[in-house]
Amino acid sequence: MAIDINRVLLLGGGPTNIGNENELDAATLARLSALKKNGTKVIYVDNNPFSVTAEEIQPANIYVKEVNFANVTNIINKEKPDAIMATTGGLNAMQVAWQLVESGILKDNNIKLLGIKPKNLQVTMDNEQLRSLLKEINENIIASKIISDEQGAIDFVRDVGLPVIVKPLSSNHDTNRFICNTEEELEDALSKSFSYSYIEHVSIEQSIVGYKEIEMVGVRDQKGDKVLVSGLEDMDPIGIHSGDSIIFAPTQTLINEEYQTLRTATFRIMDSLGITGCCHIQFALNSETSNYFVTKVSPFFTRSTLLAEKASGYPISFISAFLEMGYLLTEIKLPSRFNKFTPFMEPTSDHIVVKIPVWPFEDVPETDKHLNTMMKSVGSTIGIGRSVEEALMKAMHSSQFSPRDILPSVTNMDEDELINQLIHPLSSRILILMEALRRGYSTDELAELTKIDSFYFYKMRQLIRAQDYVNAHPLTKHAVDVGHQYGLGDGMLAQLWHVNISSIRQINLESNFNVTFKQLEPSAGEMIQDTNIYYSSYELENESEPFEEKSALVIGRGGNQLGPNSAADYYTSEILITLHHCGFKTIIMNNNPNAVSLISQLSNKQYIEPIQLGNILNIIELEKPDVVFLPGNRHFLARELVRRNNRHMKIVVLPADQKIATFNARQATNSVITFVDGKDVLPITTFSFLNDDSDRHLSKIINFKEPMETWQQDESTLFDEAKERIDSEKWQGLVEVLFDRNETGHFDFVGIRPTRITQTALLSKTTGINWVAILVRKYIGKLDVNQVKDALNNRNPQRFAIMKAEFPFKKIGSPKLIGNNHQEVGSSLTFENFSSGSRANL
Amino acid sequence: MAKLILDKMAMQRALTRITYEIVEKNKGVSNLVLIGIKTRGIFLAKRIADRLRQLENVDVPVGTLDITNYRDDVEHDSLSTDVKIANSEINFSIEGKRVILVDDVLYTGRTVRAALSAVMDIGRPSSINLAVLVDRGHRELPIRADFVGKNIPSSQKEKIKVYVSEIDDKDAVEIIK
Amino acid sequence: MTDRYLILEDGSAYLGKAFGSLATTTGEIVVNSTMNGYQEIISNQIYHNQIIVFTQPSIGNTGLDHNSYESVLPSARGVIVREYENLAKDHYKRVSLDRYLTQHKIPGIYDVDTRQIQHHLHQFGNMKASIVDVADDHAFDQLHATVLTNQQVSQVATQAPYANPGEGDNVIVVDFGLKSGILRELSRRECNVTVVPWNYSSEQIMDLDPDGVILSTGPGNPLDLPDSVLKMILSIQSQVPVFAMGLGHELFAMANGAKVSKLKVEHHGSNHPIREIITNEIFFASQEQGYAVDSKSIDHSKLFITHIDLVNGTVQGLRHRENPAFSVQFSPDGAPGPHDSNGLFDDFMEMISRRRQNNGNRY
Repeated sequence: MAIDINRVLLLGGGPTNIGNENELDAATLARLSALKKNGTKVIYVDNNPFSVTAEEIQPANIYVKEVNFANVTNIINKEKPDAIMATTGGLNAMQVAWQLVESGILKDNNIKLLGIKPKNLQVTMDNEQLRSLLKEINENIIASKIISDEQGAIDFVRDVGLPVIVKPLSSNHDTNRFICNTEEELEDALSKSFSYSYIEHVSIEQSIVGYKEIEMVGVRDQKGDKVLVSGLEDMDPIGIHSGDSIIFAPTQTLINEEYQTLRTATFRIMDSLGITGCCHIQFALNSETSNYFVTKVSPFFTRSTLLAEKASGYPISFISAFLEMGYLLTEIKLPSRFNKFTPFMEPTSDHIVVKIPVWPFEDVPETDKHLNTMMKSVGSTIGIGRSVEEALMKAMHSSQFSPRDILPSVTNMDEDELINQLIHPLSSRILILMEALRRGYSTDELAELTKIDSFYFYKMRQLIRAQDYVNAHPLTKHAVDVGHQYGLGDGMLAQLWHVNISSIRQINLESNFNVTFKQLEPSAGEMIQDTNIYYSSYELENESEPFEEKSALVIGRGGNQLGPNSAADYYTSEILITLHHCGFKTIIMNNNPNAVSLISQLSNKQYIEPIQLGNILNIIELEKPDVVFLPGNRHFLARELVRRNNRHMKIVVLPADQKIATFNARQATNSVITFVDGKDVLPITTFSFLNDDSDRHLSKIINFKEPMETWQQDESTLFDEAKERIDSEKWQGLVEVLFDRNETGHFDFVGIRPTRITQTALLSKTTGINWVAILVRKYIGKLDVNQVKDALNNRNPQRFAIMKAEFPFKKIGSPKLIGNNHQEVGSSLTFENFSSGSRANL
Repeated sequence: MAKLILDKMAMQRALTRITYEIVEKNKGVSNLVLIGIKTRGIFLAKRIADRLRQLENVDVPVGTLDITNYRDDVEHDSLSTDVKIANSEINFSIEGKRVILVDDVLYTGRTVRAALSAVMDIGRPSSINLAVLVDRGHRELPIRADFVGKNIPSSQKEKIKVYVSEIDDKDAVEIIK
Repeated sequence: MTDRYLILEDGSAYLGKAFGSLATTTGEIVVNSTMNGYQEIISNQIYHNQIIVFTQPSIGNTGLDHNSYESVLPSARGVIVREYENLAKDHYKRVSLDRYLTQHKIPGIYDVDTRQIQHHLHQFGNMKASIVDVADDHAFDQLHATVLTNQQVSQVATQAPYANPGEGDNVIVVDFGLKSGILRELSRRECNVTVVPWNYSSEQIMDLDPDGVILSTGPGNPLDLPDSVLKMILSIQSQVPVFAMGLGHELFAMANGAKVSKLKVEHHGSNHPIREIITNEIFFASQEQGYAVDSKSIDHSKLFITHIDLVNGTVQGLRHRENPAFSVQFSPDGAPGPHDSNGLFDDFMEMISRRRQNNGNRY
């Protein structure tokens, strides 16, 4: 049934930002293998320099361009694709697809839009059309109306009832929203609104603040067969953006009837939109009445789609690519390690997944830190367990970036502040909720105050009891057992009891407490298959068997934070790919549901665990890897692993630790990148640092031009000086030598550091040489440096690469415009031809 | 104001039920042919044929009938049968067959009467049965459907609109006031 | 938190913690992988004499809801789960899972590796199990010696007929261990329902002047019921529309000459795609099945196979070729489970109204 697609134009997700993390690149990469399997040629457009997908596509088929209407139109004219795939490019790509539909370009060029019919794409992109479609199929939507007098408001409220939200409309004034629970409040809001001369109209809508937010992710094929992949329940009620909410999968507090009603509604909406592929639908559910509203329909990949994939073990990214190409669910062949029925069996879970977001407030202090309808988180982490408590604890554990296994304490907070934060939550909300329980607030009281289902408070109370028990019974066998059951790993127990982790491990040994790794798969144990995804629990049956071949464990970066994190995920992914090429069985440990490095195509085994010492030791003990790769910023882990390494396991710290950098000065304008292997120091290229203001401070190096602006005059001099400055006894690998151009035009030497992650990624894009791969090969002793020399000599660059950082300030309502390199959330890449000449034979 | 009477699922189920009833009544599918009345009856007839294939693994012939030239408001006595059925497509003999006429809505009965005349012009079937998705009442002729998807009592002021996804982008039956 | 054991016929034992009743019980052990609806599952009479292992890791999360009981007196023999939450959400905050199980003398064990049990049963097949205080030889001897009753239907089905009045069609439900979901669906369709005991004769049923007859779900082996039930079905199906589910479906198949056999591993879940043959579409429904109609034994001149399970190939639906009578193995009422096949009740109602329009003649 597959439609004939020879050439598909794949739209990328663009630079990462808030609401748009690596999940789009992850989904795109996962579906690349599906497209290859179908024999489809892929043309890819994206300007994200940290895209792993771009590394996997022939450079000739990649357009490094912003995904916008003009660029995509040009590419279409040149490449004449048969089809366009926009569903993994986020909302932006879908909007571009819509423009292509509206302008008639798809029709004129006979290009098929995959995933959704053009007519239905219009419906989903136009709120009014979507509302009327939903009404037509008897789905409830929030009533809203624009009124010009009080009578209009009264008529409206008579129809839909209170509460309502009143928002005065003005084209040139910022206005406030009023939530009206009573008639008095409504009158008040209306008289306030209409009292301003510049207000003529007021929008009034049904208020659903405090409703439960439930998300459903499903897939549908061309014939109309559907599978509900996963339900997701936001612990936080409507009023807090789903991207900032703690999310549980599967749903925890819905009775069967409620769940099934939403499942059926999801299918009805997918049918009426004729989706072929995946769809993510959000609902607001009133738990008193079981009434619900449809709040959002996303017929494309979202964070929640990928979370549903991670939570269920159902490979949505891969399967939906086939669905979009016209295959039926029953025709899709998964890799042989899966059960052949998996694409058309409805996933059922015997585990619980909890997602906790990561916010940037430490890096961007000058912003409103309250959680509300505007999404502010920049990343997320998941915890998986066999009980709600275990999963929640592991998620909390994973979301903390403290080098030690301990959760922050809020015990000193005064009562007023606590109540204030209960009502106006901040990013630390889960800790505040638990603190309130600890101080004796009842579960009902808290449920009333926060509109969070009391079930969650019961579970938190269990966790508190367990923690209290553990605290009160240090180093006892039973307390270790209790700790394990409630998701407190050995590392946390050690911290709570102020002992070395080996004391806990000794108790485990004596008491025969063994960690067990459970496979995360979509049939709740019914089918024998290998998803290769594992999480830990302390039970009877262990399902993860070590590899017989040589293996490598790669420690991931966890949830995205500001700074170079999406580039770091690129880095981790390339480490995995290289190790695979070098003949290793690869094992990734990570807990970021949006990570590219965690997709199943990139490694032989994925452990979704807190990235902390105890958890790592458990995996090492089972897998006995030959090599462990650890990111340079995890100093405590590196130290501890080296100290405990008694089996001659190779430990490689990559990306390198920036703390070894040495500087004479604090500002720079240019740099030279060299590759140092043994005594060879090979200059690669130069950079100009493009700063928007005159601030040349090292922390403000965020925009790059490669090669340096004045390469024709200055490059060879700088190369020579860099070679002299580098002591190969001290520096190995990819080394950056920084210079500052003074008023006289002379370049002063500033210092030396390991090449940063973002620049390494950029370097791979501009040189066509995969530098992460070279570093990996170097550290595992598989590098032939002559090949690197040849590759460097064979280059013939003819253009500048310009990489500029993106900042999250606007999205989170911060007044800042320019940030430093700890505040960047992603980058964009463009190329610019040299005005003359090429740069051969460096 | 359009009101949804049958959604996609309900429409599917109605066709499924009609299919089972056809098999039950005819004690199988031998000698059966389906003739869909233009336009939407054709698609419904094809869907019934698809179902029969799934169920009995037999291809039941499907013909299409354009009854424009048989309508009683058209002067047609002077036309030859060939001309009258020119826009129909019945590539099989209906001699001695059990014919099932398929239409979307049964209303006054005039369309069906025209279809009966056309079928009789083409050949001599052993029987003719009528299957309709919707029976809305208000018959002006003594015609009765043998297989009905859904009875929808309606006033004469209302319109019944049947959508089929093959040409309308959705499957639905709506009542328009 | 008392320690208790789940012991299996093959000698395995699982240590866990007790909740609910502290009774010692024996039953067949079955695994249910449906993710929602623990309340509906536990109260379904189909679990008479059975110990239910939940793969959904956490139950009790929503307390007990007065709309979600599938019977008044549950007859399951035990509940095994990874963890349970003891929380009450009814109006008076009275009924939690623990209280409910205690009242109905159903023991529960939590904190066991249910995933391992699932793997174990899939490998070794159905077996008996007990919930006991001590897993010693005596307990295993008792378990081996216990003979489970084969009078399951008569133990759970109603002994006397009762009415569930409505304004619409007159539907007779033959109770083999009925789940309330069936009655709920009928009352949504305004039926005037009379529930009659499983051993009612066709004369007794026809004397109630039915528009249609439903053969309900129920526990156990259909072969344990007397032939008189099959005779009743044969007679009824030639007179009025019949819709049969679960055990009712198995009996309907047997009445029409098909054979029924026991599955090696019982299947309880709503994750298997079921194909409706006539439309070639797949959907999902809650399946709770220990027995299956043997597809080779079906006389195709009498019955259509209407639905099959795409995973294990079992027959999931049948329809009579000449009579308006059909049956499904799964639970179309969606309590618990998907609503995908809810329309089967509408089909049944259409059959009834078609028959009425034709003045009692079928067509």
